[in-house]
Amino acid sequence: MISDRKDIPAIADEYVLGLLDHGEAAQLEADMEEDKELMAAVAASRDRFLPLDMSIEPAAVNDSLWSRIEASLQPQVKPAQPSPPPGLNDNRAGWRLTAISAIAATVILAVGLAFSLMRTTEPVVVAVLVDEAGEVRAVIEDFGSQQAVIKMLADFDVPDDKTIQVWTLPSRDMGPVSLGLIDGIRSARLDRPSLPLPRNGQLYEITLEQAGGSPTGRPTGPILAKGLAKLPR
Amino acid sequence: MLISPVSDDLDKALVACARGDQMALRAIFECEAAHLVAVAQRIVRRRDLAEEVVQEAFIRIWTHAHQYQPDRGSARGWIYAIVRNRALNLLRDSGREHTVEEVEALQERDQADEVMAAWHRLDRNSRLRECLGALDEIRRRGILMAYVGGYSHGEIAGRLQIPLGTAKSWIRRGLASLRECMA
Repeated sequence: MISDRKDIPAIADEYVLGLLDHGEAAQLEADMEEDKELMAAVAASRDRFLPLDMSIEPAAVNDSLWSRIEASLQPQVKPAQPSPPPGLNDNRAGWRLTAISAIAATVILAVGLAFSLMRTTEPVVVAVLVDEAGEVRAVIEDFGSQQAVIKMLADFDVPDDKTIQVWTLPSRDMGPVSLGLIDGIRSARLDRPSLPLPRNGQLYEITLEQAGGSPTGRPTGPILAKGLAKLPR
Repeated sequence: MLISPVSDDLDKALVACARGDQMALRAIFECEAAHLVAVAQRIVRRRDLAEEVVQEAFIRIWTHAHQYQPDRGSARGWIYAIVRNRALNLLRDSGREHTVEEVEALQERDQADEVMAAWHRLDRNSRLRECLGALDEIRRRGILMAYVGGYSHGEIAGRLQIPLGTAKSWIRRGLASLRECMA
């Protein structure tokens, strides 16, 4: 979260220039969804610098690039959005923005019910991780003690020399912290390091790292899925 | 660029993409791909990688078109941001020094020229051109290296031969002056 509101235009500019590190940029993208002022600052910054891209000498592009794009397109799948109750919906834009969280909420219900009804300890937060296409790939339950659980809800293509690593961003100052590696592709219990109590909106993500985990202690590989924590009610 | 669709057309094309109209995505490609490939190539250097970036970006435009709203800025800004982010991620994930180390030495000088050329190519009457011109040379260069060439704070500090903290604060102050000038 941004600690000082007056820093918003400065942080938005640094984000648009690509100067934030991986964790900071991911956190900003997540914050932006719930912070209109931050979103407006990013929008203004993008449009301010856009002429530097518009004035470029165009490249010669042939049709084979389009053919490759066309070949990888999937038909649009409309997320099943619950209809807003009539009369209460004066914020259609906001509603659409929460489409992803709506899917996420459904999954929290389905997955959450399945295993939370059968046990006594409640996680402090639950994060539903979605990939770039908005597909749900995994759910993390963080118990806040020394333990977190990840449930894989999809298959991942993990080469032999790679491993999936689980991360969270307890705070911008702390930066991303590893919660552990997943041995193979399966649901797992993670012995997490001692961290501040997870909070609502905290970022969780899984990345593909070299076997043995990221050599730098920070995420270096591609993000497979990410999501923001919610407090179970 | 001879024909540039007004932003309103790109707005409509994104709405049509969200409805599943592939012709609308094709229309965006026709209008913007030549610029987008050039923008990506300016960051990742290699043409094959730039095409890869644009290919992935168009798939993301397709899958995320439903998220575009006018409060996210102009449709064009939103589309270019997707390409820029992809290009930057590719650079950061693979490590610039490794991906392009063989061409790095050869192209370093070209790249430096290209970064400054981006400023010179701006329309003479453009506010951005004027406000960048009002900055100290080194601050202008730092900002352009980041936006145009995709350089990180560390890479900028190294190439300008100044300490990292100095590079960060000069760029931050340069950006603040730029915002003030363009307000």
